[in-house]
Amino acid sequence: MKLRDKLAQYDPSRSFSAWLYKVAANHCWDMLRRRKARHDKDMDDVDELPLEAPEPNQLERLIEERTSEEVRKALSKLGVRARMALVMRYYSEMSYDEIADSLGVRRPFVGVVLLRARHELRQALLENSALAVGGAR
Amino acid sequence: MSDVEKTTNKHVDEFTLLMYVERQLEREAAQEVSLHTQTCARCLTLLRALDRESRLLTRSMLEQDEPLPARLAEFHARIKRSMQWIWGVVFGLAALGVYTLYTGYIEPWEQQFEQAGFGGTNLVSLLVFQGAFWKGWQSMFSLVEFVALASLAGFGLFAFRKYLRRGTALAVVFASVGLMLMASTSASASETRKAESVQVKKDEVIKSDLFAMGNHIKMEGTVDGDLYAFGEQVEIPGHVTGDVICFCQSLRLSGQVDGNIRGASNNITITGNVTRSVTYFSELFTLDSNGSIGHSLTTFSKSLTLDGKLDRDLLAFFETGSFSGPIGGEMRAKGDSLNISSSASIGGKAYFEGHKPAYVSAEAKLASPLEFKKIEHKSQMERGGGYYFWRVIWASAYLLFGLVLLALLPQFSKEAAANVDNAGASLGLGVLVGFALPIAAIIACFTVVGLFVGVSAFFLWYASLYFAQIIVGTAVGQWILGRTNETWPLIGRMAVGVLLLRVSMAIPYLGVWIKIGVIILGIGAISLAIYRRLQPVVAPNIPSMPTGPVGTPLPSNTTVGGV
Repeated sequence: MKLRDKLAQYDPSRSFSAWLYKVAANHCWDMLRRRKARHDKDMDDVDELPLEAPEPNQLERLIEERTSEEVRKALSKLGVRARMALVMRYYSEMSYDEIADSLGVRRPFVGVVLLRARHELRQALLENSALAVGGAR
Repeated sequence: MSDVEKTTNKHVDEFTLLMYVERQLEREAAQEVSLHTQTCARCLTLLRALDRESRLLTRSMLEQDEPLPARLAEFHARIKRSMQWIWGVVFGLAALGVYTLYTGYIEPWEQQFEQAGFGGTNLVSLLVFQGAFWKGWQSMFSLVEFVALASLAGFGLFAFRKYLRRGTALAVVFASVGLMLMASTSASASETRKAESVQVKKDEVIKSDLFAMGNHIKMEGTVDGDLYAFGEQVEIPGHVTGDVICFCQSLRLSGQVDGNIRGASNNITITGNVTRSVTYFSELFTLDSNGSIGHSLTTFSKSLTLDGKLDRDLLAFFETGSFSGPIGGEMRAKGDSLNISSSASIGGKAYFEGHKPAYVSAEAKLASPLEFKKIEHKSQMERGGGYYFWRVIWASAYLLFGLVLLALLPQFSKEAAANVDNAGASLGLGVLVGFALPIAAIIACFTVVGLFVGVSAFFLWYASLYFAQIIVGTAVGQWILGRTNETWPLIGRMAVGVLLLRVSMAIPYLGVWIKIGVIILGIGAISLAIYRRLQPVVAPNIPSMPTGPVGTPLPSNTTVGGV
């Protein structure tokens, strides 16, 4: 419904997918703001968190041992912003400009968002596997 | 100095590496990262991991579009659980296949060669280590060997170029090449003559091996060793105490050879005496009525005329054969037509496989009647159920082969299958590699330095003919059933694709062309995958230069995770 209302505002000279994501993203932010159910860590403190460089061999092992299903499960646990960034980049293959436009950040920060999203994903993968090991016991 | 530049002694931070993978770095910065990762194992590993992570993300999200049907998923899980059993079956069948191959093909051939006078050893060791091929080659420093050395060195430099930046590796390579050259030139128990016309005069005696290269080679004197002749016209009215190795247009032997004759030429005429055996590939082979061969004759020729004396066995493949001289041992021949005239005699068993029965004169003296077997070319309809049974067995063998390949080399197989989509490049490279590799392997085999490389390359090429069909089958399966990066669904697609290809290859006339096309395309795709893996830039899909849009310079405070 909202998409139909917004369709009149679409500028045909720009990317449709980027516009679509932007509409979807704005809708999500509106909902989150209204609910105030959770702390918006994606927007506020994400850029403040220091990130530790991963141990290359450990990272390799982590990636090699994961199935697509496990990754999808971990993706579903990410914050909206991180998940959207990863989906836009690695599924929709959107450019950095389009992602910046959709997320409402400056272009140079898209890389930072993606890197942080990857770190979150790795953490989720590790937590999932720890849960699986715990569950198996 | 850029951020990357200062990392020559340090590591590149994760953010910069990610930007490199994402093709977001400026050209200079990307070059610096590329250079750094060629010498820093840690950054190289991290770069590879980041690239794999990207691909894992894409794969995971793409696969969400086509979930595995529940029944298939259940089967998949069951298969995974019983992998040990599967591997047992695979290796058991593989062992059975090797045994069948040996008893069905290799052993009968060995026996045939033994019957032809090559007994006591196997063919490979005979050709490589005991024959005249081996003797004296170490001391040869000819143009052929130099070209082979240069090719090998070039190949080595190309394959290991990313390591050559390190001084020690470069020193080792150059030292090895130097040692090889020294080994080639230091031994000098041979004489080399290279001219338009090479002649060894009647009273001349050469007390070593002789390498003769020229348009016209005439050896009237004595060579107390082996004679290696490469030319257009070769005449040997003289005496060679060792072997004669000859590659020429025309060889005429009217003198005496105490050893063997081996080689290939358009025509060969023997009017003299050969004390031991002759192994020759030629269009016209003539053993004159005055000529004699002391041991065996093995020949592959279009026209074979034997008027002279052959003391032992004959193994011959020809189009037309005409025998009128005595053959002391057995005769085994395969060809179109054979004529055994009245003056001929055969001391052992006589066996001929041809399109029509041999004409045997009533006066010819044969120890036992000639056994004849007609060569039959059955059509597919005439082949009956057995033919289709073996087609099914072969198709199953392909599937098994594909399963093993995809399980052992999953990533490489996926990359090669993806390259099939890039049909232009794959076909071009396939034509180049498919034809050039066996030729290069044969050239390498004829030089001592490249013998091992040559034989290995030839086997590799032969295996790639089958691997190519698996790869194209996988790509066809993906075109039909959709893409996947998971191994087991990929094996399913490979099975569907290979079966379709096998069916299409069974179509009369067209099938042969389909097979050739598939093999060329597959070899090209495999070559492309290997080429991309040999690229100095580590991740296969990361270019050395960023091709994507170059962004604004990165803010200094955005670097995270640096070491």
